[in-house]
Amino acid sequence: MTVGGDPPPGHFLGDLGFRTELLGETGAVGRTRVTRFVTGADGGARAGVLATLVDVVGGLLGVRILAPDWMATADLTIQLVRPAVGPFVEARAELVRRGRTTMVIEAVIVNVLGDGTEVPDPGGGSAPVAWSTTTFAVLPGGNRTASQDLPFGLPPQLDISGTVLDRSVLDRLGMSVLDAAGGRVSLPVGPYVHNSIQGVQGGAMALLGDVAAAEALGAATGLGAASVVVTDLQVAYLTLGRVGPIVSRATVLDGGADGGGDVPDGPVPAAESAVVELVDSGAGDRLTTVINARGMAADAFGAPWAPASAGMPDGAPLPVAP
Amino acid sequence: MTPATPTGPTGPTGPVGPADARHYMSDYFRLERWEIPPADGAEGFSEFGGRMPVDGHHRGAGGGLRTGALLTNLDSVGGFLSGLSVLPRWIVTTSLMATVTRLDHLGPLRVHGRVLRRGRNSVVAGLHVVDEGRGDALVAASTGTFAVLDPGDMNVAFDRPAVVPMPGPTPDAPPPEEFFRIRPGVGATTRLELAEHLRNPWGMLHGGAVAVLVDVAACRAVAEARRADGGPDPAGAVESLAAADTVLHFLRPARVGPVEARCRVFGGPTDRALVRVAVHDVGADDRLVALGSVVVLAL
Repeated sequence: MTVGGDPPPGHFLGDLGFRTELLGETGAVGRTRVTRFVTGADGGARAGVLATLVDVVGGLLGVRILAPDWMATADLTIQLVRPAVGPFVEARAELVRRGRTTMVIEAVIVNVLGDGTEVPDPGGGSAPVAWSTTTFAVLPGGNRTASQDLPFGLPPQLDISGTVLDRSVLDRLGMSVLDAAGGRVSLPVGPYVHNSIQGVQGGAMALLGDVAAAEALGAATGLGAASVVVTDLQVAYLTLGRVGPIVSRATVLDGGADGGGDVPDGPVPAAESAVVELVDSGAGDRLTTVINARGMAADAFGAPWAPASAGMPDGAPLPVAP
Repeated sequence: MTPATPTGPTGPTGPVGPADARHYMSDYFRLERWEIPPADGAEGFSEFGGRMPVDGHHRGAGGGLRTGALLTNLDSVGGFLSGLSVLPRWIVTTSLMATVTRLDHLGPLRVHGRVLRRGRNSVVAGLHVVDEGRGDALVAASTGTFAVLDPGDMNVAFDRPAVVPMPGPTPDAPPPEEFFRIRPGVGATTRLELAEHLRNPWGMLHGGAVAVLVDVAACRAVAEARRADGGPDPAGAVESLAAADTVLHFLRPARVGPVEARCRVFGGPTDRALVRVAVHDVGADDRLVALGSVVVLAL
């Protein structure tokens, strides 16, 4: 997560664009726009983009709660219920527990209109499109390594904005698929994805895991990555990626599609899962992140949905936070 | 996680009798464990193996081991290997995350675990599960985080490499709901009576018991929601529901009880539902002790 003087101009987070607001002592909301440049096979914002949103909002809340201490994201989970088609998605975060060494935050994510009104679910009711948890490791203030002053005097509202994406965020990040079946995708490391301590921002790592899982699951199922939506990410951050490129590798779990050989067929879940490891190839293939990811065929997840923001100019200003 | 030791009623090294609470969970699920030390001269931490049968009374709607039971065993293996990596200190589980793709295991299931990161305050372990009955098909993967702490009076002296053989079957072993004293609550709630045999050596509710409670509660909540939508009655519906991917954050110890799981069903595609589960220690000012989510599949 990145706040307080960060990110610099021309940064991944600024290109996605976030508007955040602290709510009382233990809550925060954050919103980002759903454009065609951040969507996946279901027409909604990719799980990795939602993970970035949650990391930013949780981080903002963490800075407020933990000051003068600092923190680092230790793990992050996000589970989609239905496509996050927007036109905006809003994460509503709340502190669950603040301990001596860790802090846990949960967030529900909802589709909202430009005025902040919640978009009803397909049944006309009110329900989140995703649920998320984030665990932050508490770093005592005296041991922090952040390169800039801590933003203890956070404003209640914070905009993170930069140039507007004019192409897929994956292209802007410079991701390239090396081997789809093996889930090998490369992410270059540079200022565009740096966090405040010159490691790769956690949301970018989650997004890399999302893409790698889609590639591997798409190859394993024969659907292709363009027809697979990653619905669940369980991300464990082990150490920072600093040198790069960060390269993923994926192992697909047995989803039962082969009927189990010479044993009777059992129930076959529609989804598949993969374990994705992210290594820093420039640092001796050091393991930086492990992600358990679940995906499914986009049409089974309710896609393709036309993003509600399809007709909105990609450069439209963010709505005012509620 | 129970701060397990390799000593016990079926262990090769221990003077500990059958009253040792730390073995109730692993004995009930008949979990075998063995340490895999680094190769001669190599640096690093021991890895760990585990193996469990899929006894009839542990099978769920998918036909295989229920996910709550699987998580209990993953907690035991992950906790053991993480604890050994920080000796003479020990660990307590703070989170478990698992993805489960097959629910029709033939068994036995075999676990392999390794330390992914050992820090000053925490250990992260990665675990994979294969189904030996299906040609070692990879059926689940999990990541656990364990906080490092002072073990206090707990005995953490071990014969190495640590080995715990598989306990034998128990005639007329009760199903999980009975063993874990789990009862339906009102609406989307499910309760667990904090019986003595469900406590770990520190007197707190075993993390595995929380995992089983969350599994049962999430399936019951989805059954209730389906009934409210005009589906079959809960008793009938729950038999066709099974917990799969699960996230669990252990926030505080549960010491008093009863322990209540309160569910919110978020819905999802036709064949699955995401359920948020908050676990409260009702007798301790109703404080929140665990928070998690379960993907419940309709089979």
